[in-house]
Amino acid sequence: MSLVHPMMLRTGKLLARALPLATAVVVIVIVWQLVIAVFRPHVSLLPPPLLAAEEFWTLFASGELFVHTGTSLARVFSAWTITAAIAIPLGLAMGWSRRFERIVDPFVEIFRPISPLAWIPLAILWFGIGEAGKVFVVCVATLFPTLLSTIAGVKRIDPVLVHAGQVLGCTDQTSLLRKVIFPAALPSIVVGLRISFGTGWAAIIAAELVAARSGLGYLIANGMEILRADKVLVGMAMIGILGVCFDALFRFLNRLFSWGES
Amino acid sequence: MTGASKPLSVRRIAKTYQSKTGDPVEALQPIELEIAAGEFVVIVGPSGCGKTTLLNVLAGFGEPSGGEARVGDVKITGPDIDRGMVFQSYALFPWLSVIGNVEFGLERKGVPKRERRETAMEYLRMVGLQDFAGRGINELSGGMKQRVAIARTFAPEPSIIFMDEPFGALDALSRRFLQRQLLRIWQQHRKTVVFVTHSVPEAITLADRIVVMTARPGRIKRITTVDLPHPRESTSDRFRDYERELYAELDEELVKSVAAEERSLY
Repeated sequence: MSLVHPMMLRTGKLLARALPLATAVVVIVIVWQLVIAVFRPHVSLLPPPLLAAEEFWTLFASGELFVHTGTSLARVFSAWTITAAIAIPLGLAMGWSRRFERIVDPFVEIFRPISPLAWIPLAILWFGIGEAGKVFVVCVATLFPTLLSTIAGVKRIDPVLVHAGQVLGCTDQTSLLRKVIFPAALPSIVVGLRISFGTGWAAIIAAELVAARSGLGYLIANGMEILRADKVLVGMAMIGILGVCFDALFRFLNRLFSWGES
Repeated sequence: MTGASKPLSVRRIAKTYQSKTGDPVEALQPIELEIAAGEFVVIVGPSGCGKTTLLNVLAGFGEPSGGEARVGDVKITGPDIDRGMVFQSYALFPWLSVIGNVEFGLERKGVPKRERRETAMEYLRMVGLQDFAGRGINELSGGMKQRVAIARTFAPEPSIIFMDEPFGALDALSRRFLQRQLLRIWQQHRKTVVFVTHSVPEAITLADRIVVMTARPGRIKRITTVDLPHPRESTSDRFRDYERELYAELDEELVKSVAAEERSLY
């Protein structure tokens, strides 16, 4: 007999996680209000929280916020999916075969230190300001985290698991990869997908700041051009909110794919 | 329902590998050993004597530097589902449930889904874990994990089963329990078993024959037939006699391997 209902426990846990977040939001708003009280900036530079909230509501109610958010998310999702489809098989092969890794790794080492943002000018030159250019930039941003986590995941597999797979009938490379290597590396792959979603989300905003006619980055850049800091702040707030939401989602997936290991 | 178990014939298997400094290290001197179908053979020796190396070569995980081994008429060239293995660290697949692990080999053998499930349940019953079929691997204790691993290894009915210090990581009571359970299963299924341990009482409890290995480079020092009926009581005089005899043999080797270790440190 437990005195606490499991449902209450879950609600309590959720509260315990949401409370610090809510506190942080309150602190930010207070500091923001203080800055305004002390420095009295022009409203086009830094509007008070209430005005920004009003603009948030306006953009929310008109649906404009959703369109921009949806556009940015669609770009990130498509690029993230494309690179996952490339990086996961490539990472499995690189982690599994020393020889293959030795051939491919130099390319990774050369391209990895180049920030995805450095690709934006080339992306514009090559693809213009259409969708393809932005998806390309996010692809660059999402490829390496997924790839490197997949490689690390394969390398960390206990060799005894591979042996177990072999004596249980996975005697060819294909079945071994499919039945043992991939599931054994999956927890690490999910971590990579989470990190790459974050880097992709950061990159799309940057790409949209430079060249776009839609998306949250565009909302921010446009707000700056027409001297509407409230619009800028709404865009920034939305980026933060979505970041927190996706991080929570991926944390949940991480737990789901860690097979109950602590 | 039991698949035929087969004899194992080890013919001058040797293993030499390159050390980090590039010097060849002789791990195994030519080993000659004939094991009958359905026999339970335990290999004991000081650590580093090459008993695990030998088992790995027999399971097909490494090429021998010389000689060959055959299970029945088939030469061992690589790992195969016909030769099962139980590992000290269990090596269960944590992404599969308990029954999923037991079904793994059956699925690879192409057993249809329904039959697979029934057979797996049967083997889970054999190790007394039928009520844990749907559980996750990480919910189980070490002893339970090794029971799942035993069920998983027996389920596809290999001709021979290798066991690499399977109970080495368990506490004394779980160890005793699992030894008895393994004996019961072995008596039912009569698989050929090659079991590596460094516990002398464990060897006497389980073995038809005990192979004592020398310190590195490993070779067979002697083979003792344990002529005691099951279940064997570790407190009986005969058991004690075997123990004394085996410890005497092993102590000689221990002195050598400790001396070799000390030499390598200076």
